[in-house]
Amino acid sequence: MAGENGALRQGGGTLDANVARHLLVTMWRIRAFEERLEPLKRSSTVHGLTHLSIGQEAVAAGVCTQLGNDEIVYSNHRAHGHALAKGVDMGRLLAELMGRADGCCRGLGGSMHVVDVAHGFFGATGVVGGNLPFAVGAAFASRLRGDSAVVVVFFGDGAAQAGIFAESVNLASLWQVPVVFVCENNGFAEFTPRSAHTRVERVSDLAAPFHVTAATVDGNDVVEVHRAFGEVLASASAGKGPFLLECLTHRRSGHYVGDPGGYRVASDDESWRDKDPIGRLVRRGATEGWFGEDAARAIEAAARDEVEAAVAFASASPFPDLTLPADLTYAR
Amino acid sequence: MATGYPTDDGALEAPAPERLVWMYTQMYRIREFEERVKSTFTAHPGVIRGHTHLADGAEGSIVGSIAALAPGDQILTSYRCHGYPIALGTDTKAMMAEIYGRSTGLCGGLGGSMHLFDPARGFLGGSGIVAQHLPHAAGAAWAAQIRGAGQAVVCFFGDGASKQGAFHESLNIASLWKLPVVYVMENNHYQASTRSDQEDANAAAGEPLAVKATAYSMVGITVDGTDPVAVHATVAAALARARAGEGPTLVESLVYRLSAHGNLIAPPGVPLHYPEHEAVAIFGNQAEYEAALRGDPVPRFRHRLVTDGVLDALDADALEATVREEIDEAERFALESPLPAPDSGLAYVYA
Amino acid sequence: MAHVIPYIAAIQEAIREEMERDERVLYFGQNMATSPDDPFLKQFGPARVRVTPISETAEIGMATGAAMAGFRPVVELYMAEFLLVAADQVVNEGSRFHFMSKGAVTVPMVLVAGYGFTYGWAGQHTGSIYGMFMGVPGLRVAMPSTPADAKGLMTTAIRDDNPVLFFHHYLLALTEGEVPDGEYAVPFGVADVKRSGSDVTVVATGNTVHSALAAAETLAERGVSAEVIDPRTIAPLDVDTILGSVARTGHLVVVDQATRHASAAAVIAAEVAQKGFSSLQAPISLVTALDSSIAYAEPVESFVLPDEHKIVAAVGETLGLAPLPG
Repeated sequence: MAGENGALRQGGGTLDANVARHLLVTMWRIRAFEERLEPLKRSSTVHGLTHLSIGQEAVAAGVCTQLGNDEIVYSNHRAHGHALAKGVDMGRLLAELMGRADGCCRGLGGSMHVVDVAHGFFGATGVVGGNLPFAVGAAFASRLRGDSAVVVVFFGDGAAQAGIFAESVNLASLWQVPVVFVCENNGFAEFTPRSAHTRVERVSDLAAPFHVTAATVDGNDVVEVHRAFGEVLASASAGKGPFLLECLTHRRSGHYVGDPGGYRVASDDESWRDKDPIGRLVRRGATEGWFGEDAARAIEAAARDEVEAAVAFASASPFPDLTLPADLTYAR
Repeated sequence: MATGYPTDDGALEAPAPERLVWMYTQMYRIREFEERVKSTFTAHPGVIRGHTHLADGAEGSIVGSIAALAPGDQILTSYRCHGYPIALGTDTKAMMAEIYGRSTGLCGGLGGSMHLFDPARGFLGGSGIVAQHLPHAAGAAWAAQIRGAGQAVVCFFGDGASKQGAFHESLNIASLWKLPVVYVMENNHYQASTRSDQEDANAAAGEPLAVKATAYSMVGITVDGTDPVAVHATVAAALARARAGEGPTLVESLVYRLSAHGNLIAPPGVPLHYPEHEAVAIFGNQAEYEAALRGDPVPRFRHRLVTDGVLDALDADALEATVREEIDEAERFALESPLPAPDSGLAYVYA
Repeated sequence: MAHVIPYIAAIQEAIREEMERDERVLYFGQNMATSPDDPFLKQFGPARVRVTPISETAEIGMATGAAMAGFRPVVELYMAEFLLVAADQVVNEGSRFHFMSKGAVTVPMVLVAGYGFTYGWAGQHTGSIYGMFMGVPGLRVAMPSTPADAKGLMTTAIRDDNPVLFFHHYLLALTEGEVPDGEYAVPFGVADVKRSGSDVTVVATGNTVHSALAAAETLAERGVSAEVIDPRTIAPLDVDTILGSVARTGHLVVVDQATRHASAAAVIAAEVAQKGFSSLQAPISLVTALDSSIAYAEPVESFVLPDEHKIVAAVGETLGLAPLPG
């Protein structure tokens, strides 16, 4: 289970100063990256549909930093945070979002279709819920290989009402495969509040009828996400079947860059600002003695520097070759 | 022959004696009809084409449910759809002719066994693809909700359908919108030739499948589907809730399909027939199948009515003879009916 | 009288006017009518205008059920690819019921879906997949290229007693144009000659109608008179108007944003090859997307798509002209 992230993995989600620091680094890298995307999108340097996860970084960080390169993650349309936390190179990720030849998909995929097999990031899919059965299949493959490498799939609360969710969870349970369904419940399915989608309050409530063990945690508390996922990961690795971890969080940005956000309630945003996962970890770090405010500021600065380096790298990359469609439409 | 549209007389109360006799009559009609369909494969080889699914064993569930309907209610079903229209009063001659692919058939021979329709009696049709009619039922219930005239919809499907995404999506929306629909899952424990514990996480855990309703904040009830009176009480209560705006119910009705999933699937030239039930043919479980035969709901209900003094044995014999004559006539009518003109379908591609 | 509005607004106008005329018309889908200020919700109320969860199978299936029960639902799908999530409901349920019931039931519903969003939406949201539906008996397929046609075809779609797939082109969403005031219906199966010409017939749909018109302008400067025909519905397909045009021009170029073998263009070419062969003075030419998924990066995206220049080149080749610059 080695790997640049896996090196930091500790049994049962145990957290020390070193791990806490890595979580903060990871969250700041995601935050700085996505904040930089807004102007790049508005200037059309990044084009197409771009979904941000600002405010949700704790889930990506708390989950992906505990996984090695041989543990597969399937992401969805809101993929940047998962990719970065899973070890995808920031420069190559940004190059992908700018449609450049050095992008991790050579510029053919873009924001919604990021894939980096070397880092176990099997990718994002642009159709809601479409990634759920992939993860069940990959986990089935783990079991067939006998290594029980855990597969993680991220999905939003909106996907839970799609039929593919029920089909996937039933099979995962029936076949007892090592998959962890991680729900980022940000309260909005695209633009629609959860109350317009279902009468079931928690996505975790959906798991019990399928005999899948589930838990709901504060997804804006990275320490809590890290602990809860660590436990789930250990159980899934031990062959105890599928799990569902629901992380209650909040998307501070719109559904996509440019979303006017008329459906949102201002007071909700206010109350969530205090719950910002980065601010909370910084405060917690000071209390626990993991890192001081200066160290936290240095982490932020380093993340912003890395983003600028990524912008320079991606901007210098050429557009992809026009022969690529002919080369890549079929496997050879 | 009492084949009129079922009435809403005291739906929530136990059926009156004459209603019980009506229920037994419908069960017997369904059984005779299905046995005649089955025997057609050997008596008249080649007359029935394609794939045919029989309802024998589910008569108590079908009739108990249909007996709870009120005029104006609608039903939708899977491709195992012969029983419901019989209880609704659809002409068995037209039904048999449809299954035989004749021009006098209910749908002119264009639909066949899996696609019977009789909207005038509230039967919006049998869909040939597993679970795909569950959203149709929610849509029809939405229509009923908008009309606001107290109509409700009953949707019949098998246990296999509950693993389809269409089930999850439809029950979620039906619950969310409090639609006046009752989802009746006839759990016969086999999804074609797969035992339900091989494909269902709840069944594998030994749970009733009605538990699935909890994922939709919906009421889920399991009922003995071989007991038409119990089914009637359960479905009537669910319909009352639906009409009162309290939303849908998932009724798991436990039945045992006495025939195989369907007739043999074979290329042209191979005579079609009904194979043995999967419990025996695939799983070698003769004991299970024999127990199901001992629990056959049709003779059991007759015995109960006779024992309770609701139905005189001689009267039962007489009504059964009348039913056999009806089905004889249906078969004769269908056999004598012409095949449709080759171009007769083209007029119905578009409305 | 007419007014000028964007293409996407023309579609909404038709839906609104039909909902005013006929209370059986319902309108629902994902991410719509979530705010009490939504104009449809305000005007028609939550019984007829509803937001749904992300449940395409249920959305389209419920439309089918409500249609069988006497209503005329319009389902907002947003992206054409989302039809594929519920493929059975689109091609194998409602479209069959009228036939299988020998006309006892009808399924008047409209599935509204945008397509061809070749603006960086990458592999899964840019397809031009209408061709796979044009051969499904019982389905009608409309694909307007102008605001007026968008309104008129939507009106007809809602009034039609069959399931209709209404494909609007995303790149045209904000294109403004004159739209007739009040009730306006464009019949299905009637092609529109968007520009008259005598040398070559160019058949195009959706956004490529505008590429074809631009190409015709360029060709005119070079003395070539191109007739541009928009079938407007590909099921039913107005083959007669195309044949009549080819009988005069003797040359046919068919433009389609879909990949070649999944295109409506291939069907149109086959119809003309069989029924208008004697009129043709040169092989039919197809200008379609290359056989590739749509790339995210702009240069690769453009490379595989048909455009004005490719149409001009195809016309030049068909007419045996010397290669035209640019």
